[in-house]
Amino acid sequence: MSTLVLDRLRKRYDRTTAVERVDLTAKQGELVALLGPSGCGKTTTLRMVAGFIAPTDGRVLIGDRDVTQVPVHLRNTGMVFQAYALFQHMTVAQNVAFGLEMRRVERAEREKRVAEALRLVRLDHLADRMPRQLSGGQQQRVALARALVVNPAVFLLDEPLSNLDAKLRAEVRMEIRALQQRLGLTTLIVTHDQEEALTMADRLVVMERGRVRQIGTPEELYENPADVFVASFVGNCNLVAGTLERPGSFRTQSGTLLPCTSEAPAANDGLVLALRPERVTVTPGEGAPGDIRAQVTAVTYLGAQTEYHLDLNGTTLRASRSTPLHDDPLRRIAPGEKLTLSWDAASARLLPAETETGDET
Amino acid sequence: MAALVLPAALLVFTLLVAPMALLARISLNHYSPTELMVEAFTAENYIRAVADPYYQQVLATTLGVAFLCTVLTVLLGFPAAYWLARMESNRKSIATILTLLPLLVGNVVRSAGWMALLGNEGGINAALRALHLTSGPLQLLYTPGAVIVGITAVVLPYMVLTLAAVIESIPRQAEEAAANLGATASTVFRRVVLPLSLPGVAAGSVLVFILCMNAYATPLLLGGPQFKMMAPAVYDQFVRGNNWPFGAALAFILLVATLVLTVIGSMALSRRYRG
Ligand SMILES: Nc1ncnc2c1ncn2[C@@H]1O[C@H](COP(=O)(O)OP(=O)(O)OP(=O)(O)O)[C@@H](O)[C@H]1O
Ligand SMILES: [Mg+2]
Repeated sequence: MSTLVLDRLRKRYDRTTAVERVDLTAKQGELVALLGPSGCGKTTTLRMVAGFIAPTDGRVLIGDRDVTQVPVHLRNTGMVFQAYALFQHMTVAQNVAFGLEMRRVERAEREKRVAEALRLVRLDHLADRMPRQLSGGQQQRVALARALVVNPAVFLLDEPLSNLDAKLRAEVRMEIRALQQRLGLTTLIVTHDQEEALTMADRLVVMERGRVRQIGTPEELYENPADVFVASFVGNCNLVAGTLERPGSFRTQSGTLLPCTSEAPAANDGLVLALRPERVTVTPGEGAPGDIRAQVTAVTYLGAQTEYHLDLNGTTLRASRSTPLHDDPLRRIAPGEKLTLSWDAASARLLPAETETGDET
Repeated sequence: MAALVLPAALLVFTLLVAPMALLARISLNHYSPTELMVEAFTAENYIRAVADPYYQQVLATTLGVAFLCTVLTVLLGFPAAYWLARMESNRKSIATILTLLPLLVGNVVRSAGWMALLGNEGGINAALRALHLTSGPLQLLYTPGAVIVGITAVVLPYMVLTLAAVIESIPRQAEEAAANLGATASTVFRRVVLPLSLPGVAAGSVLVFILCMNAYATPLLLGGPQFKMMAPAVYDQFVRGNNWPFGAALAFILLVATLVLTVIGSMALSRRYRG
């Protein structure tokens, strides 16, 4: 258990740069998620921490010790692989005992700790099974126990949930988080599932093409994204290009004026208004003169939520809210009809426009 | 569906089972120097083969050579197979073809090559003389060593390709997981790669052992007239001695010895794998 510091970490291959520059400090006991689209360098970063890949530049520090040159087997990281990578020729208990054997823990102590670790992941009754006799979720928990039992200085997980079905994923996610907090493990987890990252992590690192776009708590990233890429990658977001008309008023490219926050970034032209769909309140009826009116192009019923696709003089916007009750006039709104929109001006944030936007959002 | 198996089954029957049955029958006949084969039902050929110190020696030599060659191919083949299995895919296909290439050279041609290299006037002795390392020629050809080297070179590709197929199925991440848990490279090999490769070692060994037991051209050409293995001995009886019954008995002894040892060997290996 230690802090983890990545200092200007970089990895170049012959033709590509997998990781351009990653700076990160994970505090003792903190869970940090690396989040980003496919190919942005998450796995490469994680594998540099574990020591499987030698960085081209930069340093990895675990608990103030520079381990950049330290070989994998001496780094004391606990890694959970996407495909679990269990030892197929060993029983569950032997799998979990492996790391302790390598550390020359004596037999009695070893057996005690293996039993403890298996109890922790609720698999004590399957200790003598072979991995191939387990379900995916159970194999995943063996992999967790095997990595945890050695008290790693840093706990590393590469998309540990991607092979599980949706229900199990939510369950194991909670389990990993609970274990990690209980054991106070400094943890780096890779995911491209933003919901996973938001629910599990103390802090998120949003990456794109080998660079860190923003680091922050889930709330910071969601409420206050640094740029258009982060806004669109973390949660859903309306992004409307335009310019600032005057403080608190934004002019879209089609000329409509929209209320916005008074905090604007330095560049006045080439701005993007970022507005979360759930912050937009829709009401049926005419509204007062000067209200924002939009035409409904589609209504998507999602059970608990309903999404309204709106056209605002050529600007498209999405609004979402909890599905209205049966007697609510909103329930009968159909495409072609008009709605009145409103939002708290502070919720409509202004971001600098990007010349190049993320490709896979 | 069952009908589709019929042609293959028929082929196996006419080409393998029927001749073997015939051979079994012949091995029980009596041999007379004047009338050659005489219809009979006797175990005398087997008794003679087992009791005769000469044929005991031939069988022992055959077993010894086959065993040594099998061990050698495992030891030489494993690193090559590992390297091949872990190669990037585009280079791997080229390397696989290169591994197969030696099989294009027939055993007789290859042995002739070894003779040119190992003979008293051959390449190695010439080089040693040129470097003034030896005064007289070293006896390299017509030694058991020449036979073992020759056979090993023939069967090595089979071992490499069999092992590579199994090693390829071991996920690299299993090795990484072991290293991550504190295992050094040699421990990763001993605790993860080797146990998971044992089925491949077993399969490759069986294949190679059978090939070695039945080696014909290589022992004949590289071993010289004094060196006898079973397959050439069987040939001698059939063709030179015209003693079909005794040749058939020798053939069956070779077959049974091969079968028994491969079964025992692979059972022992698979038990280790499970344990
Ligand atoms: N050995 C390599 N040689 C060359 N390029 C590589 C190598 N490994 C990775 N890359 C490249 O580096 C980039 C980052 O790869 P990485 O595996 O870290 O992505 P990732 O963020 O984990 O993606 P995913 O979500 O798909 O797993 C990719 O563009 C990839 O093609
Ligand atoms: Mg990845």
